[in-house]
Amino acid sequence: MKRLRLVCVAVATIVVAACGSTGGSSGTSTNSYAGKVIKLGAILSITGAGSVYGPQSQNGMMLAVKQINASGGINGATIDLTVKDDASDKAQSAQVAQTMIQADQDLALLGPTLSNSAVAVHPLAESLKTPILAVSTTGINIVPDCNFPDTTPCKYVFRDSLGEQTAIPDNIQSYANDAHPKTGVLLVAQDDKFSSDGGTIVQNTVGQYGISLLKTIKFNKAEADLSPYVTQAVQLKPDVIFITSLGGIPAKIMTEARKQGWQGQFLGGNGFNTATVSAQAGAAGKGARSASAWYIGNTFPSNAGFVSAYKAEYSKDPDQFAAQGYTGIEILADAAKRANLTFTDLAGDRDKLRAAMETVNIQSPLGPFQFTSSHDVNQPVWVIAMDGNGGFTLVHEIKGS
Amino acid sequence: MDFFFQLFSDPVGFWNSHTLLIAQIGINGILATSMFVVLFSGQLSLAAPGFMAVGAYTSVLMGLYWHTPLAFGIAAGTVLAGVLGILVGLPVLRLRGVFLAIATIGFVEALRLGVILNLPITGEGLGLKNPSADPLGGINLILVSFVVVVFVAWRLSKGRLGHAWAAIRQDEIAALSQGIHVARYKMIAFVLSAVMAGFAGGLEAHLNFFVDPGDTQYGVTRAVQILTFAVLGGSGFVLGPVVGALFVTLLPWIFAAAGPYINIVSGAFLIAIIVFRPQGIVGRGGLAVIRPSWWPRARASAPSTG
Amino acid sequence: MDQQLLNAIFIGSIYALFAVGYTLVFGVLDILNLAHSAVFMLGAAVTYSLVMNHGQSFWVACILGIAVSGFMGLVIEHVCLRPLRRRQAPPIAALISTIGLALIIVAAIEQGQPGQFFAWLWVDGPNSVAFPSGTIPNPTWHVGDLTLEASKVAIIPISIVLMLVLGYGIRYTQVGRGLRAVAENPRAARLMGLDVDRMISLTLVISSALGGLAGILFGVALGDISPYIGRDNVEVRGLAVIVLGGMGSIPGAVVGGYLLGLIEVAALVTLGSNARGGVAFAALFLMLILRPQGLFGAQLRERI
Repeated sequence: MKRLRLVCVAVATIVVAACGSTGGSSGTSTNSYAGKVIKLGAILSITGAGSVYGPQSQNGMMLAVKQINASGGINGATIDLTVKDDASDKAQSAQVAQTMIQADQDLALLGPTLSNSAVAVHPLAESLKTPILAVSTTGINIVPDCNFPDTTPCKYVFRDSLGEQTAIPDNIQSYANDAHPKTGVLLVAQDDKFSSDGGTIVQNTVGQYGISLLKTIKFNKAEADLSPYVTQAVQLKPDVIFITSLGGIPAKIMTEARKQGWQGQFLGGNGFNTATVSAQAGAAGKGARSASAWYIGNTFPSNAGFVSAYKAEYSKDPDQFAAQGYTGIEILADAAKRANLTFTDLAGDRDKLRAAMETVNIQSPLGPFQFTSSHDVNQPVWVIAMDGNGGFTLVHEIKGS
Repeated sequence: MDFFFQLFSDPVGFWNSHTLLIAQIGINGILATSMFVVLFSGQLSLAAPGFMAVGAYTSVLMGLYWHTPLAFGIAAGTVLAGVLGILVGLPVLRLRGVFLAIATIGFVEALRLGVILNLPITGEGLGLKNPSADPLGGINLILVSFVVVVFVAWRLSKGRLGHAWAAIRQDEIAALSQGIHVARYKMIAFVLSAVMAGFAGGLEAHLNFFVDPGDTQYGVTRAVQILTFAVLGGSGFVLGPVVGALFVTLLPWIFAAAGPYINIVSGAFLIAIIVFRPQGIVGRGGLAVIRPSWWPRARASAPSTG
Repeated sequence: MDQQLLNAIFIGSIYALFAVGYTLVFGVLDILNLAHSAVFMLGAAVTYSLVMNHGQSFWVACILGIAVSGFMGLVIEHVCLRPLRRRQAPPIAALISTIGLALIIVAAIEQGQPGQFFAWLWVDGPNSVAFPSGTIPNPTWHVGDLTLEASKVAIIPISIVLMLVLGYGIRYTQVGRGLRAVAENPRAARLMGLDVDRMISLTLVISSALGGLAGILFGVALGDISPYIGRDNVEVRGLAVIVLGGMGSIPGAVVGGYLLGLIEVAALVTLGSNARGGVAFAALFLMLILRPQGLFGAQLRERI
């Protein structure tokens, strides 16, 4: 387990102390925040299958923390963000979460990266009454029913990452309108929640667009030899192959399918939406489509600033995961500002933060952001396609409701 | 080392902020005792994770579908694990040594990959959610269970069963010729170990909000970890594996300075102990438990510690 | 001929090559070398690292990778096995010391990150990587319905040649006879003047070199190299193969490897893709109960 401890130090506190509090909301006793530290913890997949996504989330978060601390913090309080790796493993994710909540006494958590880990971590945070904000999990039953099959809504769990329930049907609809495919085969890693949920959504949706699903092929995510599964798919000669997996698996499937001579269209889920996967797939992945919650060229007010700051800091373009991580910190910062924290009563502060999160209303690189009544997100979707060179091109924009 | 500092200077605070860690130590202790029982009787069985899975899934399924209270589900899981122990033990106990080990590994993986992964009712690859989990509340039950299990194992190892087991592990054929019903006593040890493992599995499932057929939960990796408890601690005395479990579970905290290299430290420890002190930390017999009759005896002056 | 049959043969070759090393050590030493899967992984990792991080050509890197794997055989012997033999430890102890070494090897690769201690060995940490296309000439041919990839096709002759050479060596050369003598009865062999320690070292070196080569072929053909490829793909399957074939029997390991590949793909096609993982162990379990000596093994004597 890799431990990365990032202490974003308050150069700002000195500045603030000298110049008095900058801007910010009035009404609450802002002075009681001065010099205090808001401890946040992020559980991310820096290693393992999710490592193609985790570091981007981390970069986005760190950028936001740095910017906020440098411009006066949260009414004078600085954010101390600790990022810990869960190695893309569910059990380890739960252990890290428990340590952060109990031993480290973080005010709130972000993450985990993978929906599979969220199954363990979110109910734990809920039962230990700690607010947790998911920044990349898009599976079903994440919010509000984190304790599915129990339908009681989880009060402490939120997410800013658009769910597959919206994204996948939008993607399929967009391609169906363009090319009118007739048949498809689904390849799904059945021991991963994200992949499995995506598969379920595909199965439930394809009929509506006139696509007949010939077969669902399940495999285990740890399996290195995927060729028999790909052969099974290719031998059925479908128009479309749906790949709902994440990490290195989509690229492997695409490369193998092209090698076996299949020329059809790949349609995927959130797992496609990062440059690493596009680069791994290379020429085999060219034209593979997915729906993304963010596009680098979007025209929302705070996006351009975010993109240029990210490029300046990390010398590369941000992606959807970076944008969602960045927005996650912005959400928590806004809630913390209005929550009237005492910094002495941890349990009480966590409750106050939770309540304040429900009324967040900010501008973010994802667009104007508010939680729905289910602590979920509602926003436009961008259908993107891999360009064969490690990047993406925009295909369609689909407005949110 | 500030981990220990807190332990001694602020026990209540330590308890509150490390409840889940303490619970895990309790469960690992029960698993270690399950390992003790089989190793003490001369059987290298790595089947514990399979029985854990049975205990865990049974109790979670009962909670999900029949809404039974926690204790009932765990009890049912334990009993089922015992029954499966009999079924698996019957064909498998004819095998000896490394063949028994491989057969038990085969059982564990066949159960995990063949059965659990393919049954819709067990949630296939995703496992099951466990909404009735109670991570903080379960601690008392776990600690009490741990003490009871260790006590039971200790009494048994001192009594007639224990003597029979010791005789069997020294030399099965000689034991047979002394009139000891070897097959029956081996089965008793195997089933007892299965029951303990099933019990630990059920308890552990109620600490987590999920059960899933992952390799680190119910696979070979787990089996190796449990074996490590017994090896490091020494399996000649009931407290040996327990000490081993304590040591291994706390290893990342004790050697926090090792940071990411903790596995290298663990591996090095394993080699060092098996070479230089094969009787384990606690000693009294240690790995001498698995010694075939034709293997040359250790030197008469071999050190034995108490 | 169906593409699936080809898939089975390719993966079966890798299982067979891996299992030969496993069974060789068991045959000579009565020990299950559980560090074998770690050496498998190390062969692939070192080769990848040499090509990507140290600028070697692929072929040079392969040779070095095999050499490093063979060297690990010596390490296994001197660190895990010899000290135990000197102390008259029971065979089970070797099982555990090799587990310990496997933990160390996997952890060392896992911790190979830029700027860290093991960066000279590996820089991708726990992540899974592949050789970029173009590193090795890997043309793909289409024959009728079949797709033949050069890297996969090459595995078959390589594996078969090696296994034949090994079989011949064991049976007909003096060194081979020495190994068989040690396998029969180490004490008698020593009394007859054989340097048993050296024979054992040789066994470990050959076995580990084969394991490392199997890892390299795996990494190249399947496009997957990570610290966990040994543990996830061959460690336990290797056990199934040697049980099926007969522990200690080299032809058994070969037949067992291909048999397992075929069983897995057959199960996948007929029972559904989910069945692939479990079928190996069902076969293992059944074989141990019905015929513990496997297909080619001798009747089990009273050994433990």
